[in-house]
Amino acid sequence: MRIILCAMLAGAVSAAWSCTPDLPAMQGHKPQTAESQKYALAFRTAPEKVVIGQHFVVELALCAKDGAAAPDSVRVDAHMPEHRHGMNYKTTVTGSGAGKFRAEGLMFHMPGRWEYIFEVRAGGNSGTTERITTSIVLQ
Amino acid sequence: MIKKLFFAGVTAAALSASWLTGITQTQANEPGLIEFTQAEIHLILSHGPWPMAWSPDTSNRVSANRHAIDLGERLFFDERLSVKENVSCGTCHIAEYNWTDGVKRNKGQALVDRNTPTLMNMRHHRWFALDGAADSLWSQSMRPIVDPRELASNATHVAQYVRKDADLSCRYENTFGVNPAAQDDEAVLVGVGKVMAAFQETLVTDLTPFDAFRDALARGDQAAVSLYPRDARRGLKIFVGKGNCSVCHTGPMFTHGEFHDIGVSHFIGGGATDDGNKVDGGRHDGIKKLTSSKFNLLGPYNDDATRASAVKTEHVKAEHRNFGEFKVPSLRNVGYTGPYMHSGEMASLNDVVRHYSELNVDRLHTNGESLLKPLKLTQREAADLVAFLQTLNMDRAPPWRGKEYAQPPCVSNTRAKAGEDYYAP
Repeated sequence: MRIILCAMLAGAVSAAWSCTPDLPAMQGHKPQTAESQKYALAFRTAPEKVVIGQHFVVELALCAKDGAAAPDSVRVDAHMPEHRHGMNYKTTVTGSGAGKFRAEGLMFHMPGRWEYIFEVRAGGNSGTTERITTSIVLQ
Repeated sequence: MIKKLFFAGVTAAALSASWLTGITQTQANEPGLIEFTQAEIHLILSHGPWPMAWSPDTSNRVSANRHAIDLGERLFFDERLSVKENVSCGTCHIAEYNWTDGVKRNKGQALVDRNTPTLMNMRHHRWFALDGAADSLWSQSMRPIVDPRELASNATHVAQYVRKDADLSCRYENTFGVNPAAQDDEAVLVGVGKVMAAFQETLVTDLTPFDAFRDALARGDQAAVSLYPRDARRGLKIFVGKGNCSVCHTGPMFTHGEFHDIGVSHFIGGGATDDGNKVDGGRHDGIKKLTSSKFNLLGPYNDDATRASAVKTEHVKAEHRNFGEFKVPSLRNVGYTGPYMHSGEMASLNDVVRHYSELNVDRLHTNGESLLKPLKLTQREAADLVAFLQTLNMDRAPPWRGKEYAQPPCVSNTRAKAGEDYYAP
């Protein structure tokens, strides 16, 4: 299956990276990246190739740009904007420290454009939530 | 049973000039591939090859076990499992009817709410029953046994029957390595579900005219490609093109195995006054049943110690939109599975295509999928689409199953060595 990845950034994004998420390439598989105003994100899927109808895992690393609070947690979801529906599964996200997280339970059940949604929470109860999105087209 | 065909529509464009042009090109270039774009060919190829690879169900330790398949087939047709000894699984799942029954809704001890689904290719499904209330074929196989409208049985009756029948008891022990007398009633019921699942896993459709076309396309054999009927080709182009049918009817199974609301009545029986205004909640209720069942894959009867098989159950999400959603059916052998839709309210494939052609979007959820729009097919386009669907049928009827079981009698302790008692999927 041919996968076309195009990054769509939510909100205004600075032209330059002010931090680099710590997610090294694995077996030649370079992580995908996206960013928001406050955070930079790198993530990869396991298995590497997302297949329609098969569950997969997202491993991700976040870093806070200058002045932003370190991420406390992240919610990972996805939807099909053109179809007006999301996944039929909810993810479970676990953190392993240093801005690294693992989301389990994703499954894209239809071909077309899926938009990953990474909702980064920081600053505790009175903190902020910031969204990072990026799209993938499954055929 | 899900008899709904999810022909999702794109725009309501009338028969376009380009389509007419396409036909002209086709006629001018027969045989050839010119009628399909590269994107369409990519989609067509994604519907094969057939049969799909398969490996035994890790949640069922007797999946693909020969003893289990044999015992499962015997029990499948055994009316003595029902308390009144008048109904078996084979009452509604009839081989000559492609393992369904050809009626709108069937009756066990009482009329059921939904159309009977086919059992063909069931081993490739992710969810079972039209509402996905079961996450394994073995747990689904137990459900009709205890449903008061179907076999109306219970664990005690089933266990006592299997224990008291010397031949069945022997076969059970040969399958599981334990005599049913040494297990409690519930464990025997689960065992019965698992052998029945092993039997159903052997029910796989053969190659179809579409497969012959698809494989010829894959190897570039234009002479073989040209054998595919012209009306079916036009219908296939609608299927992967303007009809957007292949968005939900994906892959070699022609289904993505999930659930949608397509504007079919939620009232049981198809009318607001039928059956006391009962409403079929579909997937919404199915998820409730699934998550509350002790027989789901998160429960104690899953034989998969890794629980990898339970990922779907652990993560499945209940949402309001699930109300009235039903499982997208496979289209393999679809010509043999009528009547159609979960309620069986559409008698023919012509009716189904008409439903998508004239889809009433007001009947969809208010937050319904934007993919669904009336296709507004011309008469010929509708006929072409049906012609294509008919090429998804096996050329011959499914083989008769249901043998004479009296001989040879079971011989105990005939469990083969590990690996020898498995059939090649």
